[in-house]
Amino acid sequence: MVKPAADWTERSLDLSRLLARAGVGDRAAFATLYERTSSHLFAVVLRINRDRAQAEDILQEVYVNVWRAAQSFDAAQSQPLTWLTSIARNRAIDSLRRGQTQPKLQTLGAAASGTDAEDEDVYDTVADDAPGPLDLLSRATDARALGECMDKLSALQRQSVALAFYQGLSHAEVAEQLRQPLGTVKSWVRRALLALKGCLQGAVVRDGAGAA
Amino acid sequence: MDYGRPELADRLAAEYAAGTLRGAARRRFERLLPAHPQLRAAARAWEERLMPLTAAIAPVQPSGEVWRRISERIGGGDARTAPGGAWQRLAFWRSLAAFASVAAIGLAVLLANPTPQPPPIVVVLAPTGAASGAAPAATLVASISGDRSSLVTRAIAPLSIQPDRSLELWAVPTTGAPRSLGVLPGGSGTVALRGKVLAGADTLAVTLEPAGGSPTGLPTGPVVYAGKFSL
Repeated sequence: MVKPAADWTERSLDLSRLLARAGVGDRAAFATLYERTSSHLFAVVLRINRDRAQAEDILQEVYVNVWRAAQSFDAAQSQPLTWLTSIARNRAIDSLRRGQTQPKLQTLGAAASGTDAEDEDVYDTVADDAPGPLDLLSRATDARALGECMDKLSALQRQSVALAFYQGLSHAEVAEQLRQPLGTVKSWVRRALLALKGCLQGAVVRDGAGAA
Repeated sequence: MDYGRPELADRLAAEYAAGTLRGAARRRFERLLPAHPQLRAAARAWEERLMPLTAAIAPVQPSGEVWRRISERIGGGDARTAPGGAWQRLAFWRSLAAFASVAAIGLAVLLANPTPQPPPIVVVLAPTGAASGAAPAATLVASISGDRSSLVTRAIAPLSIQPDRSLELWAVPTTGAPRSLGVLPGGSGTVALRGKVLAGADTLAVTLEPAGGSPTGLPTGPVVYAGKFSL
């Protein structure tokens, strides 16, 4: 079983070294960094901006800026993969506010409307070849702590977070997608994030106590 | 709004990292980051929390054209040392600020300060191979803060040192005796750089010393890590 969150940290160690070398102008190290991370960053960008040509332009900007900023990367403050992914996500989200390329929202099947959705995975009714946000969420949460914390959220809280995080949807778009009032969705997302934070902090404390 | 209020800073940072903070609110948040350490720390913490979720997304290979265009733009002479580099760098920081990566925001701080500070310096300390077996072959990374007031080291992999030994960090000037910067428990630590302790130095070195550090004030053990830098 692959555990992405643990894998995340392992990959990061190697990338710190490559970034440090790119920071002093080592192009070979930067090329290796690109080889190891570009398909991940491209997938992240493509989830948010589905226009492939634009996504490739965004990716190009991301790496040119990473090359120039590599010397400012502070391994003591951030994980490299987090740093890189944040840059790519922010750039992709920025592209949405400028462009008219907002992905066409898939509309929910009629079956989902009018039912009591509290415990139903509404998004599961959307037909799409690609894994949906919820599939991704359950894959990402194989790692124990994050998984347990995600499990504690209500189904709708989970959906709201997944749609916002993976697809780059705004509160209003999530509300439209789930056919829920905007205020309701806002409070789901807010409470879900707070619950996640509290739960992850609890997990750190428990793990720390267990290791000591 | 008082962005110093911890719960407000945390809520905005959460929505920023989750991507639901949009439009004017997102732009305002990004503009505030350089001047608000609390906001910056909150945003970084949320990014560390949420970014691992992207590990579940199946990788997609971009076309080879993307790398060709990137290498074209970073190749052909080193743009970072080209004439007028400082101005190019400033322009770059401006574009980066628009980029609003929290992690890169250290540089954007330059723009907010009337007297710009240099960016932090990252020094890679490679194992020298001396005293093999005494210290593992993992690399150390040291980063010197932009204002040159502190230095943080981190071991890329956990180091295990015999209990009767310590790793000690030195600034080695081109001429003259090495100056001790302090002992690094487990290879990681934060060091305050007092006065001109780095003046004239071009190398950071780590030696293996008796527990607690060199008794003489000068290195007594083998150099196990070293890395060059320039201020």
